[in-house]
Amino acid sequence: MAGTIRAQYPATLRPVRINCSGRVTPSLMMRAIGKGADGIVIGA
Amino acid sequence: MLQAARTPGLNLYTYSQVEEVTGFVGNFTVKIRKRARYVTNDCNGCGACFEVCPAFGYNEFNEGMDSRRAIYVSFAQAVPSLAQIDMERCIKCELCKGACEVDAIDFDQQDEIVEINVGSIVVATGWDEFEPPIGYLGYNKYPNIITQLKLERMLAPNGPTIGHLVRPSDGKEPKIILFIQCVGSRDLNMNTYCSSGVCCMISIKNSKLIKQHYPEADITVAYMDMRAAGKDYEEYFTLSRKEGIKYIRTNISRIKEDPITHNLKIVMQNTLGSSGLKELEYELVVLSASMVPATDVKKIGKMLKLENSQDGFFKEFHARLNPIDTKIPGIVLAGVSQGPKSIVETIAQGRAAASSLARLMSKDKYRILLIRASVDKDRCAKCGLCELNCPYDAINLTDDGAEVNEIYCRGCGSCLANCPSEAITLRYYREPQYEKQIDAILEEV
Repeated sequence: MAGTIRAQYPATLRPVRINCSGRVTPSLMMRAIGKGADGIVIGA
Repeated sequence: MLQAARTPGLNLYTYSQVEEVTGFVGNFTVKIRKRARYVTNDCNGCGACFEVCPAFGYNEFNEGMDSRRAIYVSFAQAVPSLAQIDMERCIKCELCKGACEVDAIDFDQQDEIVEINVGSIVVATGWDEFEPPIGYLGYNKYPNIITQLKLERMLAPNGPTIGHLVRPSDGKEPKIILFIQCVGSRDLNMNTYCSSGVCCMISIKNSKLIKQHYPEADITVAYMDMRAAGKDYEEYFTLSRKEGIKYIRTNISRIKEDPITHNLKIVMQNTLGSSGLKELEYELVVLSASMVPATDVKKIGKMLKLENSQDGFFKEFHARLNPIDTKIPGIVLAGVSQGPKSIVETIAQGRAAASSLARLMSKDKYRILLIRASVDKDRCAKCGLCELNCPYDAINLTDDGAEVNEIYCRGCGSCLANCPSEAITLRYYREPQYEKQIDAILEEV
C-alpha cells in the first residue's frame, strides 16, 4: 500500500523486510527502540 | 470431443463424478465414481432400445420441451455414443434387453469407483444459466416468457422443434419478439456481476438468426448497456441494427399477460428518448439470464481446497496478473469455472492452462522455496490455531504437534503470527535473524 500510494519516507529510515506485518512482534520493536531507534513505521 | 475420445493416452470418464482428491502437485490421487449406465461398452448407440422403451419423461437436454425414454443417449452428439438407463424412470420391463442386438444391457451393473494417480488438475466445471425466481419478469408464470437456453434449443436444427421458432402457449410462430437483457445480473439483489457481455452477444446472434429465418419478424432488445467488447463484436452489433433489430435502453417496469391471446403487455420507457412510459405488446419474451457457477461446484471446490471469489466462481491466483493458476500448485482453472467469459476467452484460457501445466509437468523435479514454516514440536501446545489460520491448508495437527506440509506451505507466516506458544518459525525469517538485522542497522546510531 505504501508503495502504491507513492508514500515518501525520510532518508533516515532503515527498512527491514518482513513477510507480513503480523510477523512483527513486540520484542523486535522493543529491541530496536533499545538499540537507539527513535521510532518505528510499519508499512503494510 | 470426438477427437479427444480417439486420442491414445487420453482417458475420458463420462457420466462420472469426482468423489475425493488427495495428495499434492505431481502426486494427486483422484477417486472417480463411474456411475452405472446399465449398458455395457458393447453398445454401439444404434437406438433400437429407445423405440421399445415405454417409459417417457422430461428431456433435460431440450430444456423439457420434448420427451425422452428411460433408456437414452444424453444427446445426439454425445461422446462416447453409449445408451444409459435412467433408473428413476425405468419400469424394469426389460423390453430393451430384447431389442438390443449386441446384448449390451446389464441391469445388474453397479457404480464403479476408479482411483487414478495424476500430476496436475485442470478445473473446467463450466456454468449454468441463472434460473430467475418464479414470477420475476413473469418467468414460469406466463408461458410465453422463456430463457435464452430454451430459445437456443428451439433454434437448433436438432432441437425439439427442428429449428422452428414457436410460442410455448399455442405453438404459433411469434412475430413480435422482445429480448430482455441482464436478467439476474448487474443486480445488487441477485448477481452483482456482468456475465462478460456473453448474454449481449447471444441476444444479438439469436435475434439475427430469427430475422434470417423470418425476415418479417419484429425484434426488440431491451437492454441496460449493450456490451459488445471484443474483436468484430461491435461490427456484429452494428450489422444487426442495420438489419432492423431495434434496441431500446430501458428498465422493464411491468409485465402483464393478455389472458386470451397470451401476449405480453410490457410497460417500459426508452431512457435515451423523451417519449415517457409506453405499453407495448409482444408475442414472445426471451430473458437473457446471467451465467452462474455450475451446480455442485461447491463440492469440487471443497475437495480441491479452492477459494471462491465473491461471485461464487473459483478464485484465481491473481485476478489480473495470473487468472489461470490457483493458489494450490498443480491445479489450474479454465473457462467459466474462473468467471463468466465467452468462447474465445475460454479457448485462450484453456490453452493457457494446458501450457501452465506443461511447464510444470515437463520437469522431473518440482522446486519449492525454502521459506517454509517449521514447528518446534517440543513447544507446540497443539491448540490448532495454526491449522485454522493457514490459508493453504498446509498445517495439520497430529498427536505429537502441528505438522507442516512443505509443498502446500507458501511461507506467508500467518501461522507463526498466530502461534501463542511461539513454536513456529519461518526459515530465513527467524527471530535471531531479525535481531541481527536490527542491530546492524542501528550500529551507526
